[in-house]
Amino acid sequence: MTASALLARWANGPWAGSLRSAAIAAVLMAILMVLPPFLSLYWLRLLTSVLMLAVIAQGMNAMAGFVGYPAFGNVVFFGIGAYGTALAIAAGFGMAPALLVGAVPAATLALAVGPLLLRLRGHYFAIATLGLNEVVSALAANLSGLTGGAAGLSLPLGAGTASDAAQRAYFGFVALFAASLALGIFLRDSRFGYGCRAIRSNEEAAEATGVATLRVKSIAWMLSALLTAVAGGLYARWVGFIEPSLVFDMAISVKAFVMFLLGGAGTVFGPLIGSLLIESATTLAWSHLLKLHLLVLGVTIMLVVLVLPDGAQGFVARHWPTVRAWWRPRS
Amino acid sequence: MLSVRGLSAGYGGLVAIRSVDLEVKAGEWLALLGPVGAGKSTLLGVLAGLLAARHGEVRLDGEDIRLLPPHRRLRLGVALVPEGRRLFSGMTVRENLMAGTHALPDPTMRRRNLDRVCELFPVLAERTRQIAGTLSGGEQQMCAIGRALMASPRLLIIDEVTLGLAPLVVESLFAALARLHEQGMTLLTVEQNVPLVLAHADRGCVLSGGAIVMEGPAAVLRDDPDLPRHFIGF
Amino acid sequence: MQLVAQIVLNGVLLGGFYACMALGFSIVWGVMNMVNLAYGSMIMVGAYVTQLAVLHVGLPLAIALPMAALATFMLGYALQRGLLNRLAERSVFMTLIFTFGLNMALINLNLLLFSADVRSLPDVFGRASFTIAGLSVPYSRATIFAVAMAMTLGLHALLNWTPLGNAIKATSFDPDAARLSGIDVPHVYALTFAIGGAIAGVTGALVATSYSFSPFAGESYTMKAFVVVVLGGLGSIPGAIIGGILLGVVENLASLFLDSGYRDAVGFALLLVVLVLRPRGLMGRRFFAEVKG
Repeated sequence: MTASALLARWANGPWAGSLRSAAIAAVLMAILMVLPPFLSLYWLRLLTSVLMLAVIAQGMNAMAGFVGYPAFGNVVFFGIGAYGTALAIAAGFGMAPALLVGAVPAATLALAVGPLLLRLRGHYFAIATLGLNEVVSALAANLSGLTGGAAGLSLPLGAGTASDAAQRAYFGFVALFAASLALGIFLRDSRFGYGCRAIRSNEEAAEATGVATLRVKSIAWMLSALLTAVAGGLYARWVGFIEPSLVFDMAISVKAFVMFLLGGAGTVFGPLIGSLLIESATTLAWSHLLKLHLLVLGVTIMLVVLVLPDGAQGFVARHWPTVRAWWRPRS
Repeated sequence: MLSVRGLSAGYGGLVAIRSVDLEVKAGEWLALLGPVGAGKSTLLGVLAGLLAARHGEVRLDGEDIRLLPPHRRLRLGVALVPEGRRLFSGMTVRENLMAGTHALPDPTMRRRNLDRVCELFPVLAERTRQIAGTLSGGEQQMCAIGRALMASPRLLIIDEVTLGLAPLVVESLFAALARLHEQGMTLLTVEQNVPLVLAHADRGCVLSGGAIVMEGPAAVLRDDPDLPRHFIGF
Repeated sequence: MQLVAQIVLNGVLLGGFYACMALGFSIVWGVMNMVNLAYGSMIMVGAYVTQLAVLHVGLPLAIALPMAALATFMLGYALQRGLLNRLAERSVFMTLIFTFGLNMALINLNLLLFSADVRSLPDVFGRASFTIAGLSVPYSRATIFAVAMAMTLGLHALLNWTPLGNAIKATSFDPDAARLSGIDVPHVYALTFAIGGAIAGVTGALVATSYSFSPFAGESYTMKAFVVVVLGGLGSIPGAIIGGILLGVVENLASLFLDSGYRDAVGFALLLVVLVLRPRGLMGRRFFAEVKG
């Protein structure tokens, strides 16, 4: 078969959507990989931040956007990942094993607590996850012997210059971001993801048609926890110092929530779009309007909810015909 | 009193009623008939103000009421008893009835209307302190109708008067409605029990597939051989 | 034993305060299915208004408190009528996010108007206390408890003995049926939110008298209100009282055994236990609201 015929078959077959997204992801990755030499340290840091939040947002998206369970306390996994990794590095482990030390407890917690909490819905699930976060956060703050307590934990400096460290952090997050995109594609296009979306739209009906709802929800939460925990671990290595109020901060979860909502819930690239928009807005506000930055952010969030209930992608989809007509007027 | 011209309405991409013309004269009892899914509840929803019309007009005494929310229409005298009763299930009968008085221009009428409703439906008077959710089906329907009556409406619209109710209860409900009608109330009822409603109503019209397909005096409709055809989907 | 009894009593007094605070949160959630994450900031607004009135204008507390309530009432009405009504009956996520954004905006406004300093009112009640059954009760705590209970009774009276309360309860059961019954639902929503705001204002005034506060302190009150409502059951005034007292007592007892840093976490741990065992909360039965998800 010729290459073009093969390509045509791929483009129209059942995996077409996934392949298209994978292709876009690949292009994105390529761009991200070659960017660093062109960026100053400031922009590199900003981009790293954007990627990190996009990853956390994808984790939230998995639970809230796809399965419909608003895990506002998801930041607990970020914190566990951060502390696990930090402690492992302090104990002399290499990066990869250290990340495991952060990720495995997080995933375990999700699997252990999932069956108990996933019986709750909506606001109740949200507050339960917040409660979980508070409890773990308090433990981190008070078990000073282990975690350094409320004063926080410093990591030993990595090898090389600050610039090297920044680049390492950047590429670490690029890799993690790729994983998050893969998760997004998986959730959107696989049968498992279909089960997730069935749960979101009508859990009773999903149950009745044979979806193993508890198992699906638990696995989704575990995947979300893994992703978020590795982000936490990378974060700890990146900034070199963590404390409970920082890595267990509910605002991280909520920001991630707003990001994927803004970018488009239940989509692959939504979290990235949302992260780009919000992080840019945050940084701009911070640098120019320091005294008003919370106000600006707050108003932005309120406007987003009022004006873009379907998120940016939904907005574009709805108005695309108008834009196209304007761009290419009928003669 | 109420006149509807060219009304179209629906939900999302679905058009439920198409270019409907309807007229309810003051003091008459109009029976709205039709199979399930014909658009009757949609039509009533538009009349009451819960649903926006896509096209057409709705006039009460000549005034266009399309933009008015339900509570303002109630002030003008149009009351809807929705399908399924929709009582405030955790509140008592008395509280439910009182909930119907918020649109009354004159609060002193509350007491008077309560007495009148209790006179019409004595069983409600016996059960004023009972939680509405624990009433029987027939009692709930009486409470729902009573709640609408508390606002002193001129036009009472009832969606599915007798659905799910026992024959004895149905009879007493219709007797009560007939009494209201005698006292001058204009009625628009949607009803599955065709023979019964046509025995009481002045006029009838049949809504099927979103459009009016038959209409005329009740007596004429009752004997029309074509009538059953519209209820059994062909 | 004496110590435990004293601690439990303190917990009950604190719990009454928590209960009253939670009511403003609960009524908005129960009637409009809206979890107001900006609730804590509204409490802070009440605290600031009270402080302004007492310190800068020199008004007695008895006047400052209703002023704070009025201010937050109006703020709440304006917010609901102007902004939030567009979201009423929309998705759970959206209102959560919206109120989160609102919270950020309010915090910033408080920061701008009042700066980030931690404030409090100088001892309004003095340190005096009286004794009951050998246990000491500070006047300040007793007054707060009394005011809180008065507010709770007031809310109960409003909901059950007034036409407005009738309209609010009806709307909470079935907004469309309420519309058909002649209730102006958007107006009811606005008033409900305003009432929630007024309760927040009173809570804020009470906070100002006994605790220190800052624009960022609101967060913790929102969370506690959340916990109390879930513990006691949504839409239930007795539930809020029981939930509040339970939280107060448990928090205080826990301080016997655990570091003070665990204080808030204990409440959340209790919350988790209740959610896992009995999601509807202790009272379970709805009083003025459906237990919506």
